Amino acid sequence: MHNRTLYQLTWLAAAMSLGHHLDHLIRHNAVGWPLTDQVNAFTASLVVYPVIATGLLLYRAGRVGPGFWALVSGGGAVFVSAVHFGPAAVEPPELILDHYDPPILGWLAFAWLAAFVAVLAITSLYETRVWWQQRQARRATRPAADAGNTR
Amino acid sequence: MTAATPPAAGQPAIRPQPSGPAAATGVGGAALLVGTRIALWLGVQLLLAALLLLAGQAATGGEALNEAAGWWMVYMALVDLATLGVIAWLLRRDGGTYRSLLGPPAAAWQVALGALGVLAASVPAVVLSGELTSALYGDGAIPPMLAVVDVPPLAGVVSALVVPLLAELAEPVAYLGVILPRLEARLGRPWLAAAIVVAVWAGEHAFFPLLVDGGGLDLEFAAYRVLSVLPFLAIWTALYYTFERRLLPIMTARWIFNGGTALALALGLVE
Repeated sequence: MHNRTLYQLTWLAAAMSLGHHLDHLIRHNAVGWPLTDQVNAFTASLVVYPVIATGLLLYRAGRVGPGFWALVSGGGAVFVSAVHFGPAAVEPPELILDHYDPPILGWLAFAWLAAFVAVLAITSLYETRVWWQQRQARRATRPAADAGNTR
Repeated sequence: MTAATPPAAGQPAIRPQPSGPAAATGVGGAALLVGTRIALWLGVQLLLAALLLLAGQAATGGEALNEAAGWWMVYMALVDLATLGVIAWLLRRDGGTYRSLLGPPAAAWQVALGALGVLAASVPAVVLSGELTSALYGDGAIPPMLAVVDVPPLAGVVSALVVPLLAELAEPVAYLGVILPRLEARLGRPWLAAAIVVAVWAGEHAFFPLLVDGGGLDLEFAAYRVLSVLPFLAIWTALYYTFERRLLPIMTARWIFNGGTALALALGLVE
């Protein structure tokens, strides 16, 4: 049983993530390995692509469900927020806004980042709701199945 | 929820339908709501400015409008009361109840958890809006619509306690509970209807408060108002669909957010 909306939201978040990494490449600040020798938050963030690819395969095989995706999306939202928005942000908004000419491009890149985090957060909430509904549905059917087994 | 998603226990297996009434008044009712709100924003501010001029409290029309702007969080109550009046009229005409506009039922803990989710998902909008404020008005500047608020203590109490509650009962219910379903029914494309609602909802913010700068309306401020609320409204509208058209979590989160801001202003915590 696969949820079409969940797939669409996952692809949207992956595309927005790719767009944000392209923004890093264009600015060429706050980048790390494999573009430089430094291993940093940029390097760590690249792990999301194998996670998504593996998750999609496992989801298709029925090995993981919406709960897994809620953790991936929610974790992504927290990670990107902490890196860019938090009080201890290693890449604060100025690193994006002040590195484009004309400045409007910096605003577009920053708006893209904000939209990306919003998509991750909304996706996580959606997946949490689907996970909860599936859990409730399983609980509702289990007593009936158990009752059937005792006969 | 897609067809492949099992429904929650005790919930219908079908996708919840738009919560608005069947809408004999259709898009006309939606236009009436938006028109009423914008006309009242303009009317109340112009009337207050005229009274200030007549009372000699302001020397010019521009000065009077800027003085009137200091009260926007108070006269917002009038706009929201009128909005509730129009909603009641539409409900009487088309059938349905106010409760039906709030979407499917949800337990109190679900509303509270949902509101926390709304607040968390609003963080990117807070950051984007804050950066916009810094870019236009300087680092650490407070948004001009908050800086202009200047009312006596009693009015401050009203704007902190009564107005945010009225605002939640009126504004999101009008835009998401009444206008959005009507546009969806007319256009047949929910994404287009949602985009229009977000744009119009954000556009309404250009009309309050009206500020005058250098002899004319401060259009930069009006544009700032629209752009600074746009991300919030887009996120809340997306969450409205995420929560299967349940409005209460969004109303609760907005009440905490807007009420907290109004309370901070009333207590003088925002300087």
